Amino acid sequence: MRKFASKKVLAVSLATAMAVSMVGCGDKGNSEQDPSSTPVPTQGTSGDDKKDATPVPTQAPSTGDETTPTNAPDETTPGAEVTPDPVADLGELTGVAGNYTWKAAVGTLASYWNPHDYQTETDSYPLDYIMSGLYEFIYNDALNPVEGKDPYMGYVIRPEMAAEMPVDVTEEVKTAHPEFGIPASATAGYAYRIALNPNARWEDGTPINADTYVYSMRALLDPKMKNYRASDYMDGNFAIANAKNYYYQGTDIYTNGKTAQEWLDEGVSQADILVDMSFWGISAADGSQYGSAADDTMIRDPAIPEGEDEDYVSAKYIYETYLGPNGPYAGSGYDSQYLYVITGTWDENYPVENVGIFKNGDYEITIVLNKALAGFNLLYSLSGNWIVYEPYYEACKSKIGDTDAWSTTYCTSVETTMSYGPYKMVAFQSDKSMRFERNENWYGYSDGKHVYQDPTDGQIYPMYQTTAIDTQVVAEASTSKLMFLKGYLMGYGLQADDFTEYRNSEYCYATPRASTYFFIFNGYLEVIKNREAAEDFDKTKYDLETLTLQSFRKAVAVTYDKEALCTAINPSRSGGYGLIGTTYIYDPETGARYRDTPQAKRALCDFYSVDVSKFASLDEAAASITGYDAVAAKALYTQAFNEALEKGYITDADNDGISDQTLRITYSASVVDSFITKTLDYLNEKMNEVTAGTPFEGKVVFEASAPLGDPGWSDNIKAGLTDTVLSGWNGSLLNPFSLTELYTDPLRQYDAKWFDSTGVSLELELNTASIGAPAQVEKVTMNLQQWSKALQGDTIQVGGKAYNFGEGIADVDTRLEILSQIERAVLNTYDYIPMIQDGSMALLSQQVYYVIEEYNPILGRGGIAYTKYNYDDAEWADYVKSQGGELRY
Amino acid sequence: MVKYALKRFALMLMTLFIITAICFVLIRLLPPVQLPLGDPHTEVVEARREALGYNRPILVQFGLYLKAIFTRGDWGISDKLYLGQDVLKLFISKLPATMLVNLYSIIFSIPIGIALGVFAALKKNTWIDHAISTLTMVVISVPSFVYAFLLQYFLSYKISLFPFLMKGGTDYFSWSMFVSMLPAVMSLSFGSIAGFTRTTRAELTEVLTSEFMLLARTKGLTKRQATVRHAFKNCMVVIVPAIFGSFVGILGGSFIIEKIFSVPGVGSLYINSINGRDYPLFMMLTVFYTTIGLASGIVVDISYGFIDPRIRMGSKK
Repeated sequence: MRKFASKKVLAVSLATAMAVSMVGCGDKGNSEQDPSSTPVPTQGTSGDDKKDATPVPTQAPSTGDETTPTNAPDETTPGAEVTPDPVADLGELTGVAGNYTWKAAVGTLASYWNPHDYQTETDSYPLDYIMSGLYEFIYNDALNPVEGKDPYMGYVIRPEMAAEMPVDVTEEVKTAHPEFGIPASATAGYAYRIALNPNARWEDGTPINADTYVYSMRALLDPKMKNYRASDYMDGNFAIANAKNYYYQGTDIYTNGKTAQEWLDEGVSQADILVDMSFWGISAADGSQYGSAADDTMIRDPAIPEGEDEDYVSAKYIYETYLGPNGPYAGSGYDSQYLYVITGTWDENYPVENVGIFKNGDYEITIVLNKALAGFNLLYSLSGNWIVYEPYYEACKSKIGDTDAWSTTYCTSVETTMSYGPYKMVAFQSDKSMRFERNENWYGYSDGKHVYQDPTDGQIYPMYQTTAIDTQVVAEASTSKLMFLKGYLMGYGLQADDFTEYRNSEYCYATPRASTYFFIFNGYLEVIKNREAAEDFDKTKYDLETLTLQSFRKAVAVTYDKEALCTAINPSRSGGYGLIGTTYIYDPETGARYRDTPQAKRALCDFYSVDVSKFASLDEAAASITGYDAVAAKALYTQAFNEALEKGYITDADNDGISDQTLRITYSASVVDSFITKTLDYLNEKMNEVTAGTPFEGKVVFEASAPLGDPGWSDNIKAGLTDTVLSGWNGSLLNPFSLTELYTDPLRQYDAKWFDSTGVSLELELNTASIGAPAQVEKVTMNLQQWSKALQGDTIQVGGKAYNFGEGIADVDTRLEILSQIERAVLNTYDYIPMIQDGSMALLSQQVYYVIEEYNPILGRGGIAYTKYNYDDAEWADYVKSQGGELRY
Repeated sequence: MVKYALKRFALMLMTLFIITAICFVLIRLLPPVQLPLGDPHTEVVEARREALGYNRPILVQFGLYLKAIFTRGDWGISDKLYLGQDVLKLFISKLPATMLVNLYSIIFSIPIGIALGVFAALKKNTWIDHAISTLTMVVISVPSFVYAFLLQYFLSYKISLFPFLMKGGTDYFSWSMFVSMLPAVMSLSFGSIAGFTRTTRAELTEVLTSEFMLLARTKGLTKRQATVRHAFKNCMVVIVPAIFGSFVGILGGSFIIEKIFSVPGVGSLYINSINGRDYPLFMMLTVFYTTIGLASGIVVDISYGFIDPRIRMGSKK
């Protein structure tokens, strides 16, 4: 009887569990949404995913963090009903003749690709396939030639969802529509009429017309939706006229642009002055962005260790100590940037008709901007799109409970997504997989324009040979590799252990990245002294202060062969020699790169003491730079030893000419992984080799910190609590001039606590004709920060004269000269020692090939549009089988 | 027993409320994630937080949160990881995959683990017992993800017996789905089998040397009869609660195994919600798992009373 009871308990438990799981299985299909819930729309993208991003700090990762090559992919899966399912064949690959399936793997799957509201690159992934921009970048070839450029060496921008290039109608709109506020003096660049492609359709065949564009822009800026991408159309270069008035209607107007003294002079009280707490990298006491300059509520600054100065700050403290009339930043430009006053309220019920977009006809719209934009930057901004499918969009909106916020499920499932691009989404399973197939309603398959001339055989082929795209989550690189070798994936990003075997493979492609990783060396002497004063620091055995000596840093700078370093830790990268990486383009019209300019080359030759006169050309001189000189390093270590002794940083009690102390350099590690271990092993090994026979023989050691996470590694470096790191910046790929801020703006600098860019003077000889003044060669002297600001377009007053070297004001050669000289001056601080030019390598499946193998900074290798297949899916399955089920690369 | 159960239930509700309140307050006190300096989206993010009520007093926020749950069954909308999506629906949609993988694992583990444990106990101190015990210790000592990679390499890559990943779709009871789950199931099972083996062996070994077993044999029962009717039944006092605990665990999922085999389950939801600061999702999961944890404690405690009549929960004497 009791035995029976036990069985019953077990049976009931199992039945319950099964029942619960059955309930959970209620949804049909691959979508996580209930199919009966609102269907929904499609997208378009704000276009910002192609815009230049703000530079963000990055720490050298262990390897390329992507698991597939450009744009691409892996394995099969989602819609099992459509695709041959490898599971059914217990792991054997199968395929359908005539199908060309691009099989992609991703680490994280998109969950919300609403073009109005997505926040991450991961979430924008589907947009690459299901939307089209108003204008499109394609390679130049015989069909779309570019004068002076060999085929596939440049690019062409042409209308895509637009029918023609935009027409400047500034004068006309200025007169007819005063509500848009185009300045009276403006004659061009503010308003554009765009003819739309009449063949554009949603995937269900519904036409896309001017109403779609106007509705979508208004929906994007809808104040109640608080769309994340709204700022892409309100701030920055491509700002729609009156968009802010509409978006912020009824809310306070925060105004900056004046110094604290100017506000006070206008009768504004200190309590009414608001400090933008992002100045300090924290939020105000109530969690908001602004704090009253009279509010003395102390807020913890997590970047400063407890007990250190300024571990707690208040808005009042920041105002009175830094930004206020008596602070060191008074009149610096930072006070007018970070001090705000509420000067009013945005008009309630602002009419949406005043937002700068309207239709001129069924297939024609006019866009009005609040500042002038033209040429490449205009078309670049319009290479994205913002349209949404109105029926879905409206059906997906809902108010969130008792809050004032609204949310939307638009573009969270197949049922809530409507494509208008080359592919449409047909299956989606959250955190698992998604599948796209050809959108037969896309005009591009039949308009005769989406073709290219193959550079190899000269034949004309249609773009987008791929018939379906299967994307699924493969979290582990080791799994990706095995799947790739079995033919299930189109690409595999090489990991550190793979380089030896695959780097010379004919299927291996190297892709340069934006970042240059440099050593940052701790120079915060005050904090270093505090660390040495700690009880657990044995000053008789260890030292940190020597690290602040420039002679020591110079020695380290020439200790390492950068190419050898890359070979040892990650061969997909190469030696880095300047602060600005090799991929930065200063002229998007021509694709010209900063690092290729004579100005940039001269700056590096100067810094590395290369005598250009000994070479046949500047190019040769620049190419000779290795940054490695063991002999010079030894001399510099000896010099550093003598200086350190003199300053009392180290001792040599036995007068043996060897430091008594070991210099322990703590590497600021976000995580401690095999890459960090390998890197530190290499650094220590080579350091020991070079310091042999010097006073620092065996006395310099790199050690990893405890895992500090992100942004802990960065915060610790800035606070002087760790001593070095290999890190860099990415973003702003088309605007290297903006990078100077990273080294001269204390809010962005790693070394702000020990390097004041206003204290370094730089004299340049410039022809003032370059800035529109009468031609005259003039020596201009400013500090680094002023040069940087002038380069960004600020007007700087020096010696009674005003200087502005912003884009469109100074000629490009002058701007390049300034940029290169700032770079050289920053390098000369030896706070930053360039080591690595980032890059990645990936294998491409034998099933496909790139039409053009050379990497293009704008187009990559052409993406899915220019990918061609050696085998269809059925042939591929047969081919893999013929290779014994395991491919060799 | 009923009174005891009701009392435990009431205490459970009170504990649940306190944990929920603490978690809610602490999570809402966290500062917002800082965007990079100069990021143009800063104002938009701030406006959204304001609209969502993050700047209201914490207790007001908590009151609204409870009201939404009790009046509308509304656990909130994901505000970070799965923007715009109902967190409860999201969670429920991911439960089946996790439950099935874990359920299959337990179904395999229980009979195999107990059988091996019984066998080892009956063959105590023989080479069979030593072999099983050694193997058990090895298996317990090696993390499950090691088996996962080994299985993937040998069974999926080398001999193509299984797919690399769990199949997509929601046809959870199809043959192809079952096959695709097996590598994950096996990876999870090794540890469970070893656990059941060790527990069973230890308990049974002890019981087999008890005096009542001697009595049973002297009454004339065969060794088999004595073992099955008396020894094994006594072992169940320890094993059955362990089994119950395993079933409760099927709702939790395995972060590592789900990741390796791409199981679209709940294993990574909790940790992702913390890392991603998705507060509504975090709160819903906290309440759910806290409830499960508390309820399982009660169920396990009460189960002792059913399994062993000598144990009387809540009785004063």
